[in-house]
Amino acid sequence: MATDELNQRIQQRFPDRGITVEPFEGLAGRVLFPPAAALELFRFLRDDRSFHHLSFVAGVDWKSEREVVYALWSDTERDYLLLSTRVDASDPHLESATSVWPSANWHEREAWEMVGIRFDHHPDLRHLLMPDGYEFHPLLRSFKLHEPEELEVKVRHV
Amino acid sequence: MSAPSASVSAPAPSPSASGTPSSAALEPAVPFIEIEGLRTEQFIPAAKEALSSLIAEQAQGKLIRPVFNWAGRNSLFPLHWGLACCAIEFASAFGARFDAERFGIVPRSSPRQCDLLIVNGTVTWKVAHKLITLYEQMPEPKWVIAMGNCATGGGPFRTAYSVVPGVDKLVPVDIYIAGCPPRPEALLDGILKLEELIRERGE
Ligand code: SF4
Repeated sequence: MATDELNQRIQQRFPDRGITVEPFEGLAGRVLFPPAAALELFRFLRDDRSFHHLSFVAGVDWKSEREVVYALWSDTERDYLLLSTRVDASDPHLESATSVWPSANWHEREAWEMVGIRFDHHPDLRHLLMPDGYEFHPLLRSFKLHEPEELEVKVRHV
Repeated sequence: MSAPSASVSAPAPSPSASGTPSSAALEPAVPFIEIEGLRTEQFIPAAKEALSSLIAEQAQGKLIRPVFNWAGRNSLFPLHWGLACCAIEFASAFGARFDAERFGIVPRSSPRQCDLLIVNGTVTWKVAHKLITLYEQMPEPKWVIAMGNCATGGGPFRTAYSVVPGVDKLVPVDIYIAGCPPRPEALLDGILKLEELIRERGE
């Protein structure tokens, strides 16, 4: 699918929302969007552009900002599309994609757990890979490798 | 060879048998009671005394503890619980080639049937409380072997955010086996060392 065509459709649908589409090697393209446009853009891509499948959601720490990357797959276009948005690191939060793609559930839990991005209106935002009560976001750049003695993890015994 | 029919006869502790050192712990503790010719009213106090001395011996563990110890240490049942790459060596130790069943070591699938927990791999914080639960579900007496560098001290993941740096933070460990992974021979050696330890402790 032509990246240009997608860009045109998006600009028609969302004029002046700060959404840009850039080509991406081997994929349908990469869409950069502001966090405020998230849900509308998700619904548009799912309902009008047939991106029915969300492959993954990942969080990236860029120190002053945190990036959230989504990968979508379309069965009719047979192509991947990357979405990317950046939120401020002082209060990193974003609308959850679970209402559009239920598969976002666990991926967003992981992104919250690892780089501390909160997903608003997520149905069940709790730890995925770490035990309940774990107090760190270990994939942040500010998280140092610990000497084992320094890492206090409470093991809740049930 | 007909014993007097009315006598509860057990061999008296014979001083001559003290030549072998190991027999001291296993000396027959049943006292010799001569009840031949006792009248009924004398029989009951005699039997009572004999029984209470038996119970006292048992309370000190002299009577059957050595037997239990011998039986227990020669039939260690480890929990069938594979955690990480070390579990492959663990499995291999029970396969045809190394055949740990030679030593009476049979992996069981329920902690209720086990007296040995072999922690064979990386323990993450997420699985830590499950390990404690499994350990507590095992009946006493029980022992723990930390197999491999991960279980011993976190191994290559010692500074990682998700790995318990040594299972001795969670449960008491009796034997540590080094290696990444230890070979099945090392595991068998560790288990034999544990058997020796159990004999020394006399649990
Ligand atoms: S000690 Fe080595 S082989 Fe064993 S679980 Fe750890 S990394 Fe794997």
